[in-house]
Amino acid sequence: MAKTSHFHGTKINPTKFHWSQMKFYLFLIPLAIFMALPIVYIFFHAFKPIDELFAFPPRFFVEKPTMQNFSDLFSASSETGVPMARYFFNSIITTVVVMLFTVLISTMAGYALSKKKFRSKKYIFEINTVALMFVPAAVGIPRYLLIENVGLIDSFFVHIFPLLAMPIGLFLVKQFIDQIPDELLEAARLDGANDYFIFMKIIVPLVKPAIATIAILSFQLVWNNIETSTLYVNDEGLKTFAFYMSTLASQVEGNTVAGQGMAAAASLIMFLPNLIIFIFLQRQVMNTMAHSGIK
Amino acid sequence: MAKVLKKRPKPSIAYLFIAPWIIGFIAFTAFPLLYSLYLSFHKVSLTTEGIKTNYVSFENFQYAFTVDGVFMNYLIVFFRELLISVPIIIVFSLIIALLLNQKIRLRGLFRTIFFLPVIIASGPVLKELQDMGVTTIPSIEEVFIYSLASDNADQFIFGILLYVLDNIIMILWYSGVQILIFLAVLQKIDRQIYEAAMIDGASTWEIFWKVTLPSIFPMIVVNTIYTIVAYSIFSLNPIIEHIKVQMFELDTGFGYASALSWVYFVIIGLILILVFVIMNSQSKKRYAS
Repeated sequence: MAKTSHFHGTKINPTKFHWSQMKFYLFLIPLAIFMALPIVYIFFHAFKPIDELFAFPPRFFVEKPTMQNFSDLFSASSETGVPMARYFFNSIITTVVVMLFTVLISTMAGYALSKKKFRSKKYIFEINTVALMFVPAAVGIPRYLLIENVGLIDSFFVHIFPLLAMPIGLFLVKQFIDQIPDELLEAARLDGANDYFIFMKIIVPLVKPAIATIAILSFQLVWNNIETSTLYVNDEGLKTFAFYMSTLASQVEGNTVAGQGMAAAASLIMFLPNLIIFIFLQRQVMNTMAHSGIK
Repeated sequence: MAKVLKKRPKPSIAYLFIAPWIIGFIAFTAFPLLYSLYLSFHKVSLTTEGIKTNYVSFENFQYAFTVDGVFMNYLIVFFRELLISVPIIIVFSLIIALLLNQKIRLRGLFRTIFFLPVIIASGPVLKELQDMGVTTIPSIEEVFIYSLASDNADQFIFGILLYVLDNIIMILWYSGVQILIFLAVLQKIDRQIYEAAMIDGASTWEIFWKVTLPSIFPMIVVNTIYTIVAYSIFSLNPIIEHIKVQMFELDTGFGYASALSWVYFVIIGLILILVFVIMNSQSKKRYAS
């Protein structure tokens, strides 16, 4: 789908400012500040020295920024046997693999469920929607039994396999694909496009916002995942960065004061990749919505 | 263009597309789910040789409704919060989506900020923020409490207001995905319909009720369901925490936790069915052509 010269769909910001827009800003600016505050807080909090961390009432801005929390964190990390890089490497690999395959699997399934006719497709989607509602914690032990029986305990794949079929991902992407008019696919098919071609060249570009959303959601799911490392992995060298960060802060037994600072620093370190991925993907989310090609 | 392969693809291709997802789903979601149903009728004890199950029929469920007062209490609180929060989230995200759909400057930046919650609203970061008390606005709350407590005796409305103020940022933060969905569907509405309506002399207000709202109604249903689900299975939900605690209690154990999850699950299912039926009949009544 080549962009034609008169296509302005991806241009988000209008070039002119007009006073009639003022009323919108009146709403948007306060709300936007409101929503952004906690994120700013995470940043400030990590650089606070101990007396400011425990100040009452809590202060929002940091007055004497310090790197002490970070150096505490790193010195604590060098005390354990496994190097930090190892955890980091584990996290990066699992995150990348899970994101890629979740997006691929959900989009493919969404396409089949939305645009293909086959038996029992209605039930599959309904079962998926039902599964969305189940308390995630409650499947912990059955899942453990399954993983143990398949022999995935203490293997690298245990970080990956259980997260791949993400019900919420299928739910979102199917809703988006439903919006693509059948005529468009019909036209492509008449022009001789096969399913693979339709999927890669029509479906995927048109549901980019949904794909980016799933990518963000699955990133969060796997990057912040502590459960897998706690429950299914005993080998210290196979655990993830999120797990590592969570243990570091609690490691300083009986010394909650130092622990607080380290926890703040660790949560900033854990949070930054979330932000980076988000900024990287949000352009996709916001830009390419709804140009179905058929009027 | 790819060369012509088939005029009419067989359904087998559809199965090929969906197979990886089905395998993953059955193995790691459907099977554990059913197994937990099985466990909910058992007393489960973790021993050194593995997991021992003992059939107790409906004992776990009975316990949940008769003995475990905490669970029932949490359920009632959950209902009330759901009833208040979901409409607020839907209306709020619709308003934001409408505003973000206007031609204004810095629209991209605003969209980013309002979608930001999605990246934190899940999990540990939010928990920490909540502990630190960043999710409430202390000063506003105090002002409201004083002004309300003096001249308003209506405890129910007062309670609702207090809850909303207490959780305002949390509520706003639930709305990231909803805003996105609304925005997407708003952009799908054909400009020509608006132009036609304007030529016919419809005001902006009328256009919203007669054109915009009917066009996005299906997505309001989707968003409502999404919100209820997201709210229910949010990891900081007290019911879920209660279930987690029960998992490792010696006298109740995992069987009881499974039973609780199933009770909760069925209740959410009933709520969803109710909401879906009501909204669908509404849309048929109102927007039938």
